[in-house]
Amino acid sequence: MAQASLNQPVARRALPEIVVDRIWRFFCSVRAAVVEIAILALLVLIGTLRGSSVPQGIADALPITAPLVERWYAWDVYRSIPFAAILTILSIAIAICTINRAPGIWTAIQHPTVTTTHGFLRNAEVSSRFNSASPPDAFAAELSAAIRARGYRTMTQERNGEIHLYADRWRFSRLATFPFHLALIMILAGGIVGVAWGFRENALIVPEASVRELGHGTGLSVRLNDFSEIYREDGSPLVYRSDVTLLKNGEPVHRGSMTVNNPMTFGDIVFYQSGFGQAVSMKIADDAGRVYYDDSLPLGLYQSKLNPDAPAGRIDLPPAGVALSVVAPDENPANAPELDTLNLKPGELFFMIRPLGPDSPIEMPVGATISQGDSVNLGNLTLTFERERRFSVFQVARNPGIPIFFAAAILLVGGLAITFYFPHRRVRGIVSATAEGSVAHLAPIARRDWSARRVFEQLARELGKRLQLDPHLTINEGSRPAI
Amino acid sequence: MDAVVRLSFYCFAAGSFAFAASAICYLAYAIGRIRVRRMALATPDGTTVVAHDARLEPGSQGVGRFGTFLAWFGVVLQALSIGLRTVAAGHVPLSNMYEFSSMFIFLAGLIYLLFERWYGVRQLGAIVLPLIVAMAAYVWVLPANLREVNPLIPALQNPPLMTAHVGIAILAYATFAVAFAAAVLYLVASHWRVSWLPSADLLDDLGFRAVTVGFPAMSLVLILGSVWAYRAWGTYWQWDPKETAALFTWLIYGVYLHTRSLRGWRGNRSAIILLIAFGAVIFTYFGNYVFGGLHAYGGV
Ligand code: HEM
Repeated sequence: MAQASLNQPVARRALPEIVVDRIWRFFCSVRAAVVEIAILALLVLIGTLRGSSVPQGIADALPITAPLVERWYAWDVYRSIPFAAILTILSIAIAICTINRAPGIWTAIQHPTVTTTHGFLRNAEVSSRFNSASPPDAFAAELSAAIRARGYRTMTQERNGEIHLYADRWRFSRLATFPFHLALIMILAGGIVGVAWGFRENALIVPEASVRELGHGTGLSVRLNDFSEIYREDGSPLVYRSDVTLLKNGEPVHRGSMTVNNPMTFGDIVFYQSGFGQAVSMKIADDAGRVYYDDSLPLGLYQSKLNPDAPAGRIDLPPAGVALSVVAPDENPANAPELDTLNLKPGELFFMIRPLGPDSPIEMPVGATISQGDSVNLGNLTLTFERERRFSVFQVARNPGIPIFFAAAILLVGGLAITFYFPHRRVRGIVSATAEGSVAHLAPIARRDWSARRVFEQLARELGKRLQLDPHLTINEGSRPAI
Repeated sequence: MDAVVRLSFYCFAAGSFAFAASAICYLAYAIGRIRVRRMALATPDGTTVVAHDARLEPGSQGVGRFGTFLAWFGVVLQALSIGLRTVAAGHVPLSNMYEFSSMFIFLAGLIYLLFERWYGVRQLGAIVLPLIVAMAAYVWVLPANLREVNPLIPALQNPPLMTAHVGIAILAYATFAVAFAAAVLYLVASHWRVSWLPSADLLDDLGFRAVTVGFPAMSLVLILGSVWAYRAWGTYWQWDPKETAALFTWLIYGVYLHTRSLRGWRGNRSAIILLIAFGAVIFTYFGNYVFGGLHAYGGV
């Protein structure tokens, strides 16, 4: 067996191993990452333009593209499979890339290679030479102390009678790329957590003095105590504000208020002021005194054929066998007055009931216009228009992904700042003996990195001053790429 | 118009002229001078041979320095204009296109000048200053009512968040403008031998440094935008076109940052990506013209 395997080429590997290796390398590749990010960017661009007139413009200019543009407008990019797929691939790539890079970076931080070659120093784009009368080991110690005084760490190693020197600064900033990249995964995770374990109610409509259930398993109800809008002198809106009480099992548990931009928080649930409108508070009872409705009805969520411009509301009252609609006066009488068949005055409302279901006590719709405080008999029902009120529209959300998102945001910006503003700077050098004493030849690891070269030049000058030696800077134009 | 607001506008106007003059100086400095040399050689047989040759020579240092001076002058006037408007409005003016663009002009000028000092090169001004002048021209053609200070609508009434979110966005765009200029000059310097342009390495580095300011700033913009959206709407991301346009821009700069560690991509291809990325910045900035959505406050 052993004999037979000796004849096999060493490189031959099992297929699964090759596949796993390929996949691993694909996910580690920065080149692939560039393509993945570019694809993500392209999808985001397609989604962005979908919300604009640009595709329409393309269709107008090139009628051939019209069907394609139609599909573009119809495609919900951010909820599509390609979009989810690219996000997944990027997340996996970041995770694998992290695992792959971590050991190398850790070695570069903790156990860097100290030795270098004369070739490296000769070919460096910038280098500096110090001549000293001291013997090499004494000079290397002196030089190391001076470099350390500039905030660098130094390491030396003797080899073939020469002393190799390695110095670096801000080595731990190499780690900052990990929190930064992991933060990107965390943001996605936060989004998923929010969708999976949170809820979002886009329009909870509560008239003043009314109570509405929030639902979503919270057991909470919201009572709007008061809605106020304050205008500036010039008529522009200043504040929209709702005062509410939260009830749990009918008991008040929280009282507070909210305005646009200042939501109200209860535990992990946040309430936002998102809109308002007109409501009517009314009571509907029959001749026997049975009350079918005693609450406020929001207006403005429906349109009435009797005046399409005016705020209207409707509600079905199955126990009474009728549906009720209410129409308020036109808010903008100047607009299409010919459509207004009611001509209501401010303070008046038009009420109408229609038959609902086969057992309805009425056969024909009946309507009446009345003012605040008045009652009217419609069929067998007495309707009292108690007063005009307001309603508020709340958005309510619970998003357990938010803390993850904020943590990620801090890691992201912090990681970037450390990576960019505290870059790892490295210097290599060799101290050799000469007839007069010793010479130290130093160069930065700064291939095509102008800032790193400049930092090194400054360091060399400062070392020269400190050691009272001439830094002999050599700028090696020849090693730069041809321009 | 309130007197302070009018004074603020006059400062802006004076600033525009200073920037325009500065742009001309920078262009003259960067393009250099065409020098025609005439050589006359007397030959032994008595005739004279006259040769002409034209050469491009570096522009005069004096013109460059004057450009810098005028640009500083413009930046100070622009700062005054914004300062006066802040006094008149009671908050940093960042609520319509006139105000964003004034801030852009100020920050692009300031950041460019800081980079100029830091790197000791002036040629970039020949690209950044005309951009600033173009922006100033755009401000001039905006509807005049935007020059007045209008009270904030309730959705914008969060001055600290508004200042941070919008201010940092404009800071990011201004640094991206500097990166764009560096990329343009990089492509020029690496394709033609123009002896007095800064070295391609320096320009590559300068572009990168600008992005190292702009990219974290852009990240902050997205984050602060999310924080604001969370406070105002209860959700930190709405896939609103303005948001996604900013995300697109951010991703393109992400591509750029990765290409810098790829063999064969750094330099030329990186510079081309910077050009594309600046296109994305312009698209994001002027996006309100093509999409509505939740960010349609700019008054355009
Ligand atoms: C949307 C996704 C991504 C964004 C926005 C992004 C952004 C960045 C940024 C800003 C940097 C420069 C700062 C730093 O060095 O930490 C960077 C570097 C880096 N990224 Fe990413 N990244 C993403 C995805 C990835 C993926 C999927 C990989 C793995 C394949 C990856 C691998 C790297 C590597 C290796 C570096 C360091 C390059 C160097 O040595 O200079 N990134 N990334």
